Amino acid sequence: MKEFFIKLGNNEIYKKLMKEPITYVAGAVLLAVFQIAHFAIFQHGWGVSTTFAHWGAWLFQAMGGNVNHWSFFADEKTQATLANGLIQDGGTIRNLGIILGALIATLYASQFKIKKIKSIKQIIAAVIGGLLMGYGARMAMGCNIGALFTSIASFSLSGWIFGAFLLVGAFFGSKLLAKYFM
Amino acid sequence: MAEFNLDCLGEACPIPLMKCEKKIAELSVGDVLIVAIDHSCAMKNVPDWARTQGYNVEIDEVDDGEWEVIIEKTK
Amino acid sequence: MPDQEQKTSISRTRAPRKPKKSQIPYALVITVLVIGFGFYLSGFSLKLPIYLAFGLLFGYTLQRSRFCFTAAFRDPFITGSTTVTRAVLVAISLASVGFFAIKLNSVLNGSETNLSMAGVNPIGIPLILGAILFGIGMVIAGGCASGTLMRVGEGFTMQIVSLFFFVIGSLWGAHDMGTIWSTLNESAPKIFLPNILGWFGAIVVQLLIIVLLYIAAIKWQQKKMGSE
Repeated sequence: MKEFFIKLGNNEIYKKLMKEPITYVAGAVLLAVFQIAHFAIFQHGWGVSTTFAHWGAWLFQAMGGNVNHWSFFADEKTQATLANGLIQDGGTIRNLGIILGALIATLYASQFKIKKIKSIKQIIAAVIGGLLMGYGARMAMGCNIGALFTSIASFSLSGWIFGAFLLVGAFFGSKLLAKYFM
Repeated sequence: MAEFNLDCLGEACPIPLMKCEKKIAELSVGDVLIVAIDHSCAMKNVPDWARTQGYNVEIDEVDDGEWEVIIEKTK
Repeated sequence: MPDQEQKTSISRTRAPRKPKKSQIPYALVITVLVIGFGFYLSGFSLKLPIYLAFGLLFGYTLQRSRFCFTAAFRDPFITGSTTVTRAVLVAISLASVGFFAIKLNSVLNGSETNLSMAGVNPIGIPLILGAILFGIGMVIAGGCASGTLMRVGEGFTMQIVSLFFFVIGSLWGAHDMGTIWSTLNESAPKIFLPNILGWFGAIVVQLLIIVLLYIAAIKWQQKKMGSE
C-alpha cells in the first residue's frame, strides 16, 4: 500500500496534475469562473473579510462582551448570523473551505509541512500586518476579494479606487518590510 | 566557484526573494547559491525571478514541502 | 573560471536525502472527511455545502496556482515583476464579463431582485484610508485575507498568528466603523459604472482600462527587470 502511494506520487501524469504548480493565468481563469458561478448562485460575489468581523464578535461574546449595540452588527441579517452561530454561517464555511482546499491540495502534492515561526520579527510582522488588514478591511468594506476583485467585476467605481490606494499602501509596506522585517 | 547557502525556511513571501536578491549581488560570477525554502509560493517565484535574470536554476525537492533552489550566477 | 560543461547543469555535492513519505493517504482521508462534513452541513441548509464547495475550489486553486493578490501589488515594487499583476488583470476582466451578463440579465428580464447594485460600495475617505492600511498590512504579514487562509492550510504557523490579529483588527474596525467612520460614508456616493456610462459604455471602458493597465504592467517589468 505504502509502495503504491510512493509510486503514484512519482508518476509523471500525477505530478503534472497534482504536484507541479499551474500557471498564474490558469489560476486566474479558474478563480474568475468560480467567482461568476458564485455570483450566479448566491446573487453576491465572493468575500472573505466580513466574516472575520463576525468571528471577532463571537470571540468577544464568548469572553463576555456584547456587540449588539454596535451599529456594524445591528442590521437584521448580521444579527441573525450571529444568533445562528458559526456552523450555519456561509461565510465561515466558505473560509473554512479555503483552508481545507489548500490543505488538501498540499497533501495530494505531498508537500505539507508545519512551518515554524523563526523569529520574533515574524511575530511582530504578523501582529501588525494582521491588525492593519483587519482594521483597513472594515474601513474599506472588504479586502482584496470583496473590495477589489468582486467590486471591480461588479462595475463599482469603488473597486478601482480601492485598487489604486492599495497600490499606495503596498508601496509603503514594501519599504517598511525592507527596512524592518528582512 | 564557491558555494553559498541561504536559509529561508519558515519565511513567507517576499522575504526569501529579497534575501536572494541581496545575497546574489554579493556573489561573483560562477558562484552557486543554494536557497533552502519551505514556502510553496517562494518555490515558484524565486526560480522565476532567477530565470528572468538569466541565471541557471535547478529545483530539488529535498523533503516533503521543502526545496533547495540552486542558482548559478552566470553573469 | 567555470568549466564549459557546468553551463548547463549545476554540479554540487548533494546532502544525503531523507526517504520521502507520501502524503496521499492523508489527502484521501481528509477528502472523505470533508465530503462527510458537506453532507452534515446539508442538514442545516442546502446553501452551506455549496459555500463549502466554493471555499474548497477557491482554496485549491489559490494553492495550486500560487495565485496571490498581495504579490500582484507588491512585486512591482520589490523585484519589478508584474507577472502576477497581469494574472489578476486577467481574472478581473473575465469576472467582469460574467458579472455584467448576470447583472444585465436581472435588469432586462425584470427579475424580482435587481442585481445592479450588488457589490457596489461607497466611495469616501474610509475607502481610501482603509485601502492604504490594508496594503501596508498585507505586505508586512505576507498575505491578504484569502492568502492568509490558504497559508494556514499549508501549515504556516506565522499566518495563524496574523489570522488571529486580522480577526481582532476586524472587530476593532467594526467598532470604529460605527462610531467614527460611518459618518464619513453618509455622503459617500455609490457609483455603478453603467449608471454613468451606460451598459455598453461601462463594459467597453472597463475592458479598455484593463488592457491599458496590462500594457503598463508589461512596460513596468521591461523597465525594472529588462525582460518579460
